Amino acid sequence: MPVAAQRFVLPYNSVMTTASPIPKDLTACPDCDLLLHTDDATHDRQGHCPRCDALLWDVSNHARDIDFAAAISGLLLFVPAVTLPILHFSMAGQHGSNSLIDGVWRLWQESEQLLAVLILLCSVVAPLVHMLLAATIGLCQRLQRYPNLYPRWLKWHNWMRSWSMLEVYAMGIIVAYVKMMHDGDVAVAPGTYCLSALLLCIILCNQYFSEEQAWQCWEQRTNA
Amino acid sequence: MTITARDRGLARCEACAKLSRLPLKNTQETRHCPRCNSALSYRRPLSLQFSWAYTLAATVLLIPANFLPILTVVSFGQGDPDTIMSGVVKLWESELQLVAAVVFIASIAVPVAKLVIIVILMLVVQVRLPLSKQQCTILYRFIHFIGRWSMLDLFMISILVTLVHMGNIANVESGPAATAFAAVVVLTLFAANSFDPRLLWDLDHD
Repeated sequence: MPVAAQRFVLPYNSVMTTASPIPKDLTACPDCDLLLHTDDATHDRQGHCPRCDALLWDVSNHARDIDFAAAISGLLLFVPAVTLPILHFSMAGQHGSNSLIDGVWRLWQESEQLLAVLILLCSVVAPLVHMLLAATIGLCQRLQRYPNLYPRWLKWHNWMRSWSMLEVYAMGIIVAYVKMMHDGDVAVAPGTYCLSALLLCIILCNQYFSEEQAWQCWEQRTNA
Repeated sequence: MTITARDRGLARCEACAKLSRLPLKNTQETRHCPRCNSALSYRRPLSLQFSWAYTLAATVLLIPANFLPILTVVSFGQGDPDTIMSGVVKLWESELQLVAAVVFIASIAVPVAKLVIIVILMLVVQVRLPLSKQQCTILYRFIHFIGRWSMLDLFMISILVTLVHMGNIANVESGPAATAFAAVVVLTLFAANSFDPRLLWDLDHD
């Protein structure tokens, strides 16, 4: 059971002036704006808001290199996962196969440009940029060098992470497989294995990437 | 007695979560986060206006998305265009109940549920529907978690049109509803992202 953070109640007579620094252990709940102090609770793995139960912090992931390793593995797997065929379909002597990038190209040719762009973003561009930025940010932290673009990279990383939907795509593969089973022979092609491994890398990278830590590194940079 | 960050003149940065001071009086100049330089505000600006706009647009687009054909499967010259619902019915009839349920949940139940939930949340804020704040927050988190799964049908279309492209023997083509449905999914994602859950809790403080 995660222990809830203690509610922060300032004494009535203590007036925080605009000059006084904001206490380090103060945080606000992202979902209900409750002011909380985190001092007593930092030894807990997770902190939840006592009012709305939002996850405030999660320090259970001490294995710090996993996100970096997963991002690099993900990048290595990316090209085969996107270009190799995912499913093979054969029916009456005819064969067909599909890959992530073919799916986008086929929709574009069928003059479904908007749909093609959306699928390109969610299944190719966002996962790629997400992994690239995760690896770059990890590299910056290890080299202790923080270029001026670092905050922008972190924000893009978050944005790309929210649009990377390969896990939904994987479910789409399963549904398509089952749907076509009756009409012909469907077989899993090498791309599926690469895609599964890539998905595993993305999940690990998300699980172990600490955003707060990345921001703290930027805040405490020495070469500014 | 509960104290929010805004009560103390503190704003949480939406991009990097850092607390910083923000003058309570609305000044013309925009303050920026000292850590990541994003624009600071106590609440997402125009949260409800944006949410309503996206929700209404998504609701209108639900009509073409559900009534126009989304997918045409032709094998040996036979096959009719399918709407989302008739596709689900066909899956169900061909003994694929589990897949039918997955497609139904992802393509019909989730988008509609999302729109209904966002409207409820906005009504709670605007006309003060007497609902529990805790439960509203759970609903808010639910639509955030579930939203991306509506993309399932679109990915499946992309897979099928590429996989089954064999001229006269078998062919799968997408229909006009696909773009409309994609727009519904994206607009509901935007609507959920622009709603600020802190507005719910602010009702306790006014």
